[in-house]
Amino acid sequence: MFALKVARRYLTSNPAQTVLLVTGVALGVTVFIFITALIEGLAVRLTDQVTANSAHVTLEPPTRLAEILPGDPAVRTEGVALVSTFQRRQIRSWRSTAELITRQPGVSALSPQISGNAFLVKGESVQPVSVTGLEPEGLDAITPITPNLVSGQGALGADGLLIGTQLAEDLGLTAGQPVLLRTDRGGERLLTVRGIYKTGLQSLDSRVAFLSLQTARPLFDLPEGVTNIEIKLDDPGRAREVAEFLAGATGLRATPWQDKNLNLEDALEAQGRTGTLIQIFSLISIIIGVASALVLSAYRRRSEVGIMRAFGISGAFIVAVFMLQGLLIGLAGGLLGCVSGYGLCTFLASLTDAEGNAPLPIAPERGGYVAVLILTTIGAVLASAFPARSASRIDPLEAIQQ
Amino acid sequence: MSSVLQARGVVMTFRNGDEETEVLRGIDVDLAAGELVALVGASGSGKSTLLSILGLLLRPTAGDIEIAGQRVDDLNEKARAAFRNQRLGFVFQFHHLLPDFTAMENVAFPAAAPAGGISPEMRKRALSLLDRVGLADRANFPATRLSGGQKQRVAIARALMNRPDLVIADEPTGNLDLRSAGQVLDLMGEVNREDRATFLICTHDEHVAARCDRRIQLVDGRVQAEGDGSISLTDR
Repeated sequence: MFALKVARRYLTSNPAQTVLLVTGVALGVTVFIFITALIEGLAVRLTDQVTANSAHVTLEPPTRLAEILPGDPAVRTEGVALVSTFQRRQIRSWRSTAELITRQPGVSALSPQISGNAFLVKGESVQPVSVTGLEPEGLDAITPITPNLVSGQGALGADGLLIGTQLAEDLGLTAGQPVLLRTDRGGERLLTVRGIYKTGLQSLDSRVAFLSLQTARPLFDLPEGVTNIEIKLDDPGRAREVAEFLAGATGLRATPWQDKNLNLEDALEAQGRTGTLIQIFSLISIIIGVASALVLSAYRRRSEVGIMRAFGISGAFIVAVFMLQGLLIGLAGGLLGCVSGYGLCTFLASLTDAEGNAPLPIAPERGGYVAVLILTTIGAVLASAFPARSASRIDPLEAIQQ
Repeated sequence: MSSVLQARGVVMTFRNGDEETEVLRGIDVDLAAGELVALVGASGSGKSTLLSILGLLLRPTAGDIEIAGQRVDDLNEKARAAFRNQRLGFVFQFHHLLPDFTAMENVAFPAAAPAGGISPEMRKRALSLLDRVGLADRANFPATRLSGGQKQRVAIARALMNRPDLVIADEPTGNLDLRSAGQVLDLMGEVNREDRATFLICTHDEHVAARCDRRIQLVDGRVQAEGDGSISLTDR
């Protein structure tokens, strides 16, 4: 393609100017990648922190509604949530539901649970506690307890209990000691503290006690069902989609983790919008840089373009020459910017403070490289459209007479 | 001899606000194939305007123009550009070579751009034209490394690249020293005689006009007289 040859020749005829131009584009791309990787990394870190110790989707029995039956179909009825302290809401067919969930792609773990409220009594000390009864083999499926044990062990057994460090401290308990558990269903049993964990989350360490599902059944008066099924996904970002599917498939109430952390979601969205603005400004600066350089180039080459027009070279050829210059600048600057952006992000991600934590939550693999390369190239081509059009309209006579 | 150019009643009026200036006032021009014709006249006589009109770079206010048997005054811009590319050659006072290209690439450019590249045939033709103008050994030189006379000879080779029916030259020796001007004129004479290329040369230089077969004299926008160019440069 001869237009490409001419475009390349024009760019290489003034290497210093071309290098400056490509560097400018690369700098804009680097900023774009840095911001993208930083915002994505921050979102990943915050999401990880929130979801690492909790379920991505929670399945619970649907809220039952009591409706007034007026007899007249024309009369509008209004549902009222039925709250009973006697009739326990439960998922009876939890085994078949668990099988259905396991078959779904992207589900990494699930945990059928009996959750309820209780008091732990040790002598005169009484502490309210949120009890989670789960299958002992699935102890770490949702919340990594075993890796966080600071004393004792994770084997729940028939009368075992795991509690957090804060709760243990409040009650003056150590591993191996007995403690009385009194549930809100009136059940009462003397259990043994098998292990004490420390996750770093105060809500867990001070308020939650784990025991086996079988131990929890009589205590919460649930001989068959479970109160909830907790699910972990490979990608927490798919929680809403999976929850929607499971709600439809099972008729249960499915809550994605985002619904329990609406403030975080708002913050992430606001942060994403800020990032988008910075990305847009980076692209605008790239477009303005390329356009101004090519406008100057078109002006400088007026007589050359004019003489081409005098020979009868078509306006389309001139347009192609200038737009191809934009394309080459965009591609070269984009690729260079991708390399330098990745290098910068990788370097920043490798930095650690005295405690071994990364000061910037940057995710180099999430820099949006393909997107920025495509956007920059398209932007640079669009930026060249105006100078290309004006060059193609140069009057040959005027150029010759200069 | 067949006719290459036939212009009838060419009028050119420039308008500046309410003021109208009639630069050409009904010009008739005929050029036969293989002729070397000088277009002469004092500054402001309208010769450059006429040359631009005959080169399809400017539209006349009125008049009919036929080049190589084709009516060209009513062509649209795209067709005029294609006609200029295929049927006309241009040599200007300033060489207007493309500085980022070699002599060979400059010569091949008018053919290569519409075709999308320099084909082996184009390269061969360009090299043969450079040989014709005595610059075969400069084919791969960048245009910027050629002397003024060499550049103008490359410009002549470029004008001949697409085998034009008519070569229009506007003061082709105006920027050259005497020696280079002589070489360029000799070259155009040679090409005219040997290749039967038709030249219309706009000049205010009596010596250039004298080297032509005949001259068309413009005075105040009208053809005043036509005559042969009996004085040669060697008669100076």
